[in-house]
Amino acid sequence: MTNTATFQWLILLAMTAVAVGLSQATLPDNALLVPVLLTTLVKGRIVIDRFMALQGVIAPWRWVVLGWLALVVGLIGYTFHTTQI
Amino acid sequence: MWFFILAELLVFGVFFLAYAFARMRNVELFNASQLELDRLSGAINTVLLISSSYFVVRAVDHIRHGRSRACAHWLLAAMTLGGAFLVVKMAEFIAKTEAGISMSTNTFYMFYLGLGFFHFMHVVLGMVILGAVTLKAWKGGYSATDHVGVETGAAYWHMVDLVWIILFPLIYVLH
Repeated sequence: MTNTATFQWLILLAMTAVAVGLSQATLPDNALLVPVLLTTLVKGRIVIDRFMALQGVIAPWRWVVLGWLALVVGLIGYTFHTTQI
Repeated sequence: MWFFILAELLVFGVFFLAYAFARMRNVELFNASQLELDRLSGAINTVLLISSSYFVVRAVDHIRHGRSRACAHWLLAAMTLGGAFLVVKMAEFIAKTEAGISMSTNTFYMFYLGLGFFHFMHVVLGMVILGAVTLKAWKGGYSATDHVGVETGAAYWHMVDLVWIILFPLIYVLH
């Protein structure tokens, strides 16, 4: 349990570093959008499933929170993508 | 508690989408204003909150094994990082205020300061909750079989972390 949580914490830190690194690089806006949103989704899922320990919990709590994450990140992606066209 | 957490997530979700849709109409303004933000502070705060959340996971693990004092120690560590988050955020707010920036400066700053302060207050509330849980854990008020309070406080703290995980790329990174 402890080793797994430590590993997930390190993944979260690594993904944060990736997102910040990408934002510092001189990339076109659309090359930044997808990887940053994907890291956000993965980080969110780790917090929901592992830290909040919702994985394996009887519905609907897990799906409501995961659905919230997917909907919010998806709509953010849509609005940013639209303004880049 | 889960109803409360879901209500909070809903409110934050609405604010995030309001920001994203408002940006659609003012892309140049939002991008130009975003360049004035201290991205390093945002990144440091992300590391602080994520690490704080991890410390809370460790606290929950300890209390599940009946180790009340160890649980209190990890919660204290989590609160310390939460406090550091507040200090960094406060320094960011003060720097903006000294630069003459307020919520009425433009739409971007209305969202940046409004969302930032709203989240800031949730961190404060989270620390109050963790403080109460820590005190009870220190006094041996929880056990391996009775620790709902620790798990409830942890769930709230993780929610605060989850919200920041979206807020950081939205306001500081994406353009």
